[in-house]
Amino acid sequence: MKKFLAILSLSITIVLGQPPRSENPNLKFVFEPDSISLNVGESKTMTVRLVDKDGKQVQAAFTVRGQRKALSVEPRLSDSTGVSEITVKAYKSGKLSLRAYARGVKGEYVSGRFTVDVPDPPLDRIVFDEPTDKVYTGTTVNYSVKVYDEANLVRDDLEVKFTSSNKNTAEFDRFGNLSVKKAGRFSITAAVENIEKTLKVSSKKNPVKTLNMLAEAKQIRTGDVVKFTAEPMNSRGKIVKDVPIVYSFSGNAIYADKFVNNSSSESVGLPAAGLITDEGKFVAETPGIYTITAQTSGFSAMAKVKVVPRNVQRRIEVVGHGTVSDHHTSDLWVWPGVGKHKGKDFAVTGTHSADGEAYFWDITDPSKMAIIDTIKVDARTVNDVKISEDGRVGIISREGASNRKNGLVILDVTDPFNVKITKMYDDNLTGGVHNVFIYQDHVYALSAGTRYDIINISDPSNPFRVGSYELDTPGHSIHDVWVENGIAYSSNWADGVHIVDVGGVPQTEQSRDKKNFNPFLALAGKGSPGNPIKLASKSDPNGHNHATFPFVSQSTDKFYMINGDEWAKRIPGSEESIYQGGFHFVDFTDIDNPVETAIYQVPEVGSHNHWVEGDILYAGYYYGGIRVLDISGELLGDLYAQGREIAFFEGRDPNGKIPNETNVWGVIPYKGLIYFADHYNGLWAVRLVDDEPMGTN
Amino acid sequence: MIIKKIMTLISILLIFLNTTKANDYYVYVCAESEDEVALIKFDGKNAVVEKTIPVGVWPLEIEGPHGITVAPDGQHWYLSMAHGMPYGHLYKYTTGTDKFVERVELGMFPATMEISKATGLLYVVNFNLHGGHENASTVSIVDPEDMIEVERVETGVMPHGSRMLNNGMKHYSVAMMSGTLYEIDAMSMELSRTLSTSPPMKMNAKHSSHKKHKMNNSSHSMDRENKKHNGHDMGKMAMNHQMPPEKPTWVYPHPNDKLLYIVNNGTDNVVEVNVEKWKVTRTFKTDKGPYNCEVSRDGKYLVVTYKSAAKTGVWDLSKGKEIAKFNNTRKVTHGVSISPDSRYAFVSVEGVGKEPGAVEVFDLKKLKAVAVAEIGKQAGGIAFWKMTD
Repeated sequence: MKKFLAILSLSITIVLGQPPRSENPNLKFVFEPDSISLNVGESKTMTVRLVDKDGKQVQAAFTVRGQRKALSVEPRLSDSTGVSEITVKAYKSGKLSLRAYARGVKGEYVSGRFTVDVPDPPLDRIVFDEPTDKVYTGTTVNYSVKVYDEANLVRDDLEVKFTSSNKNTAEFDRFGNLSVKKAGRFSITAAVENIEKTLKVSSKKNPVKTLNMLAEAKQIRTGDVVKFTAEPMNSRGKIVKDVPIVYSFSGNAIYADKFVNNSSSESVGLPAAGLITDEGKFVAETPGIYTITAQTSGFSAMAKVKVVPRNVQRRIEVVGHGTVSDHHTSDLWVWPGVGKHKGKDFAVTGTHSADGEAYFWDITDPSKMAIIDTIKVDARTVNDVKISEDGRVGIISREGASNRKNGLVILDVTDPFNVKITKMYDDNLTGGVHNVFIYQDHVYALSAGTRYDIINISDPSNPFRVGSYELDTPGHSIHDVWVENGIAYSSNWADGVHIVDVGGVPQTEQSRDKKNFNPFLALAGKGSPGNPIKLASKSDPNGHNHATFPFVSQSTDKFYMINGDEWAKRIPGSEESIYQGGFHFVDFTDIDNPVETAIYQVPEVGSHNHWVEGDILYAGYYYGGIRVLDISGELLGDLYAQGREIAFFEGRDPNGKIPNETNVWGVIPYKGLIYFADHYNGLWAVRLVDDEPMGTN
Repeated sequence: MIIKKIMTLISILLIFLNTTKANDYYVYVCAESEDEVALIKFDGKNAVVEKTIPVGVWPLEIEGPHGITVAPDGQHWYLSMAHGMPYGHLYKYTTGTDKFVERVELGMFPATMEISKATGLLYVVNFNLHGGHENASTVSIVDPEDMIEVERVETGVMPHGSRMLNNGMKHYSVAMMSGTLYEIDAMSMELSRTLSTSPPMKMNAKHSSHKKHKMNNSSHSMDRENKKHNGHDMGKMAMNHQMPPEKPTWVYPHPNDKLLYIVNNGTDNVVEVNVEKWKVTRTFKTDKGPYNCEVSRDGKYLVVTYKSAAKTGVWDLSKGKEIAKFNNTRKVTHGVSISPDSRYAFVSVEGVGKEPGAVEVFDLKKLKAVAVAEIGKQAGGIAFWKMTD
């Protein structure tokens, strides 16, 4: 009978062949008390019992765990009685999870969940942000504060209430704006929950008797920044410097190239859009007549400015195209030939999610560009390709190697018709090299997505690591590094851009003309490839910092960092994601106080690699093709909306890997042409035509 | 007597039904360089891609789906996504509909995983393929219902091959660059024992004078060790450790829970470990580059993938002999999953470069190759889902 039962049991198991359900419905955990609340840092004891469905005690060991890095539990393992008295301690606030797990009968498991309510830490203090304690009657002054809790964290989830001790003298609105009515002494209080902060303020009679407005220009183009200066005067005709001034604007948009009596019948529906800063800098997005108003002390002054179309749009003409139809194309590089190939021009492109190939192109006659050699390595993706400044050494990165040892490949590209592999290098780079850069006999290679390694390739056949740069922030990650004049600019997602001296030659004061001024070079001179020294950084609150290009404005005294995004979002109702994001212009002229002043973002498509030449940004914009942007002058606000886009072009090819679609990876301006790699169809050379801009855009 | 005969007839009938009826078998397989998971259906003759499920969130980045497992109740499948910024994730999907449910961030390059039948928790190794071989990594323990990480246990350098005993009470993994087998108590979530994966004779001959290896070459109860070493100490310990030649990549428990099979990728062998005695009892010399293995549910067969040789070996465990060896259809043989009826072995084969990956099906009864289904590039992690009539 035993044998039979064994056979029967085995047969049933085999026939069914299904994994058993393994959660035991007949057992459960009971937590006593049935709810607890803890403060951060506080401990409490509670009892956990394993019982059957009738509530009877079950004797079995179990484990209890708190949410990792939030709740601790001691002891975590019970004895076999099925009852455990535990001590729970909270390390952070929130609705925190406590879970119990037991091995039930017949191997089935039992789990139970308990939520511990840990309120936010008590509030500690309120600190005013640079408050003024002297105000003038008839003005409105904004006050703001920061609220800290006992964990010294800034609490921005609280609504602070501002009050004045004498509403007849001065009174707040709900946004922290204090309207000063009379002269006198009073106090203002910021309060939230059980804490408050009080500040003594005195108001004086307002000396302003007149308000004048000065404008830098009467007519500007969309995108041009014009400064308006309001001058409040006292009775003696002197400027009163410390009264607050509020700037605003209104306008009538004109949706036409020509202004007829300063209006247009085509302007219906088009907003007069622009931006004005607290300092009176104004930029318009649409042509029209704008009125800028300054207000203070019951006085106002106005000035009008005419905004005309920027008229920078030009056409793009295809010069040449080389189809890559069997693989996706990744990055590109373009360089002039050397030695016996001096006078010729070449390009290299990588391949993505393919067969580990890199293609070398003769682009001497870009209308007849052709692949002249192919290098194949053990990889699926050759994500990045770079050529040294002297045109002799190439580097390609490897991802998806069959032996999982990725790294980079050093090439001899002296003869691009006959490229040779000099060295495969994977020391500490086996996790995959996503991007590289070559600068003065050194390769800057991203390793493991966490740092960049600096590798000496003065003898390309004998590379060796000389340095490394890695952040120390929790969960740091890097995507790209770019080196120019001995300064490395790395892009680190949420940690933003890091500027590092890797051998920057100090800039002489004589050479610091505005077309060449890079404030970081003024600090450089202490770092080297073997000793990279951080000069500055600016985090990215969005966490999208993908690539950075330093930009010395040729038309202003500004030095910007152009930080490109890369991120994707789900398409509603679809499993697919689509790239998003654009380029952030961070004014680094004052390197201690970098400020993002402008953004270039094309709706519904996302940005990828970019390049700057002169005052023009060339951007690969994935499904949005290549984009060419006028970045001359001061940059403020929404550059796309300001009509600064010179051109865009979508390189579609019926014979591409993906026919008749565009997906631009990278772009390089070179010898008057624009070369770009399209992920879907290969290499392109195009050029801007129309010396005279063709009109508004 | 009559009842006994009837019962015997019923049981014979059940076995007959089992051997003659055509079942459909379903396995999930990762295509690591395609960011896809394929659902393969095998009807006893042909293997076809029933469905392809795109995974990951970046349209043009390869995020690397590596490890996959199906929950014991068959309701969900879990996927480790190797590449993140910089940490990888564990994803949860519903079987059948293959709808994404939730994800949780783990450590560097999360890889192999399994859910314990005793605790219901998921134990996944953070392989940390990136870069150097100095720092010890961890096993993440995740509550798959809430998708929160509840514990992280430090083990060795580049841990791989995360598997539970059938009773769900112990977790085993090996660390490639530490040459060590690690046992974690599923309930206490603490490291309980370690063992060198060296075959005994080789260990004594090669490492007898090797001081640094001495620790790993002897069995260790960690009850006492844990009190002395915190996680940081373990990391330092690993940094001082020379890389052993074994480079173990996989561990799989016998259904009887008394034996473990460990694949030593670097020395071309599989060692059998007696769980109770905690020592290596047998060594099977294999073809080049053994990588993964699995024991059939009836306990008879050990199927080993030979990554370097591009072959798959079938071993008779009672005899300790390889009874069949199949050439795979392409290079870089990867994982194996055996159907619950012990009839078929499903083997994933990566391929090289642009070559499609494949799932190859071998009949363990007839010892012959049966079917091949091509999937996306770099077929890797493989998990059996279900059998249907």
